[in-house]
Amino acid sequence: MSLLDLRTYNPLSKLFGTLPLMVLVIGTRDLRTPAVVGGAALLLILTGARPTGRTVAWLLLGVPAALAVMTVSFGVWTDPARVSGTRLLVSVGGFELWSRALETGLATGLRLVAVMLLALVGGLTTTGPDLVRSMIRQLRVPYRIGYSALAAFRFVPRFRHELDVIRSAHRVRGLAGGGGPISGLRRYGGYAVPLLAGGIRHAERVSLAMESRAFGAHPTRTERYVVPFRVRDAILVSALWCFTLGVFA
Amino acid sequence: MHRDEDEPSAVGRATPSGVTFPVRAGEAVLLLGPSGCGKSTLALTTNGLVPHVVGAELTGTVEVGGRDTRAHRVPELARDVAMVFQDPDAQVVTATVLDEVCFGPENLRLPAAEVLARAEEALRRVGLWDRRDDDPDGLSGGGRQRLAIACALAMRAPLLVLDEPTANLDPAGVEEVYAVLREIVAAGDRGILLVEHSLDTAIELVDRVVVLDRSGRVVLDGPARETLGRHCDLLLELGVWLPVSALAALRLRAAGVPMEPLPLTPAELAVALDARPELPAPAVRALRPPPGDPVLVVDRLTVERGGRTVLHDVSLRVGRGELIAVVGANGAGKTTLVQAAAGVVRPPRGTVTVMGLDPARAGARELASRIGFVFQNPEHQFVAGRVDDELALGLRLRGVPEDEVAARVEEVLARFGLGESRGLHPFLLSGGQKRRLSVGTAVIVRPEVLVLDEPTFGQDRERATELLDLLTGLHAEGTTVIVVSHDMQLVAEHATRVVALADGRIAADGPPAEVFAADLPGLRPPPVARATRALARHPGWRAVTRLADLPAAAPVCAS
Repeated sequence: MSLLDLRTYNPLSKLFGTLPLMVLVIGTRDLRTPAVVGGAALLLILTGARPTGRTVAWLLLGVPAALAVMTVSFGVWTDPARVSGTRLLVSVGGFELWSRALETGLATGLRLVAVMLLALVGGLTTTGPDLVRSMIRQLRVPYRIGYSALAAFRFVPRFRHELDVIRSAHRVRGLAGGGGPISGLRRYGGYAVPLLAGGIRHAERVSLAMESRAFGAHPTRTERYVVPFRVRDAILVSALWCFTLGVFA
Repeated sequence: MHRDEDEPSAVGRATPSGVTFPVRAGEAVLLLGPSGCGKSTLALTTNGLVPHVVGAELTGTVEVGGRDTRAHRVPELARDVAMVFQDPDAQVVTATVLDEVCFGPENLRLPAAEVLARAEEALRRVGLWDRRDDDPDGLSGGGRQRLAIACALAMRAPLLVLDEPTANLDPAGVEEVYAVLREIVAAGDRGILLVEHSLDTAIELVDRVVVLDRSGRVVLDGPARETLGRHCDLLLELGVWLPVSALAALRLRAAGVPMEPLPLTPAELAVALDARPELPAPAVRALRPPPGDPVLVVDRLTVERGGRTVLHDVSLRVGRGELIAVVGANGAGKTTLVQAAAGVVRPPRGTVTVMGLDPARAGARELASRIGFVFQNPEHQFVAGRVDDELALGLRLRGVPEDEVAARVEEVLARFGLGESRGLHPFLLSGGQKRRLSVGTAVIVRPEVLVLDEPTFGQDRERATELLDLLTGLHAEGTTVIVVSHDMQLVAEHATRVVALADGRIAADGPPAEVFAADLPGLRPPPVARATRALARHPGWRAVTRLADLPAAAPVCAS
């Protein structure tokens, strides 16, 4: 259990350690601060999260790509009146891209990327059950809420599959036509009824099965996996908060 | 431990009603009764789900381990009653097999070491210990149901209640679950209450049967074998399904072949038949007209999904007027094949032809007028707010004149027995009505070919037979029918041809008797075929697979 392995830290320490950074970085306007925060988060992921080769590739290629796309698209969006007086870079059709607008776009993109990377620090190193366990143990969240939420997580892939089936079932009925937004909306409305009916029935069955297995019999339940909050977790939180102070103070 | 008298009530009618019977430790009791008699409701009273969670009125008392279920909450009763439900998907809470089994004992606040010891013992008993680190979603249906049984065992409750535990499984899964249940019964350390409609396997397992009638009252309660053997007429009259082997024997009795005592399993039927020095010749099958010109041609179809080849080079010609059953284990590619054939999933170009049309290029409406597709869950296909609008939709989309739409809707409503529910929302229909409506919506545009994906899944025999009779009727009128099914006896009785898939390839293709005689791995022949194939004395009987093949002029068990 290496000190450098973020996966061995308490999920809450990663959550609360990065939370102030996330909030503060959203409020920035410059380029330097989100770049520093994002870079630090990326470094933390690459060294501490032990990511797979795939994840590393996604991060190293995906992050710059997302940044480029956001820079240009936010840049195009920026009101030209606010950036008049700077250099006109490109003009295609009715669209104009000013150098100042590009800068604004880059700053916005950097902020979003920084928040995303900060979320990934915890996200890539924590499993859902561990987060629930530490919330029950350290934050005193009632276990009934925590475990019900965990059970609900398992509905997601089921819903996705069910939605696919409903879609093809409706297509077979001949309801494929109409690509416009209105008919699209109506189509999704049609999927909602069977999806909800199926979902409610499934949830009911799951809850019957859980109660039949003594879920809720006592105010507490045995936890086989204890997710402790150790000294190292306190140090991680303090270090992250000091970093926050250093960047923003 | 015993139970006493009870009864919850639905709207107006109380089912079950005035029931009194005990279940003792080490005893396996099978609860029987016609559809709607309240078997499942009764099962749910044993741990207090009725009336605490599922709303119902309960008079009388249900006692488990000396405790009144009304005075204790469901989780508190979990120590005394463990329950396994029908749907294996709806019983999984955690992310690994081991955690799943530990979930119950953890809720009982047992020390962690004890929790693990119980989990290991339970998983070993159902044969899943080696897969303890797997995600439950990666198990087969039978595997997940075995996991649910392990979870129930880990509670170490003296009573185990199983509510239709095999209704959602394929034949291989049913076998797995029964193999586990047999061991549990043999161990004799628990009382078992089983609700099950497929009697052919269940009957070997239980010591005692309790039979409810249509109004939910106990009419019979006694040792399994004698009760079924002695009261078969009464049971048939009640609408309780007897094991297929027993039905076959009753038919033989009516034809003058003595069958004493009444055989209940294929093995017993085989012994009883071989004990006779002579048997009358099997009924002569009516010659079917040969299939007409091909309406559906599948030519070297290969389908890949997620990097896995689901279908390998499958070729199939379906002639006009055939009733084809597609069978095979889960994951063999049955659904993929019929979905590609009907254009639900677009097949590669040039691999499928439906009456001269390639689903890869054709529009959905054009295709649906030639080949109708009925999904496994009827609700998925409903889009309108009323039953009659639901039926009219397909016609209106095709621009059929309104007076003709009305006439055809009336015709289908009458034929499918939906006339009285015409104004209801399709979701408010009963399960059987929903199923009929979904077939109706496909049939109303008069397709040449009708495809149904596991239409009998999760349904009891009564509804399954009702549906198959409906399909046989459509077939007799000239519709070509392709049906995916796990129910081998239904397949044997109704299909003109069976296509068996294994691992994405066609393993067998021919008349039911031939396919079932081929002894394919993973394909369990229907009970009658299992009995006759083993006959030593009567080689002429080995091709008998259907009840209809048996020599009997009179209807089964004149009552």
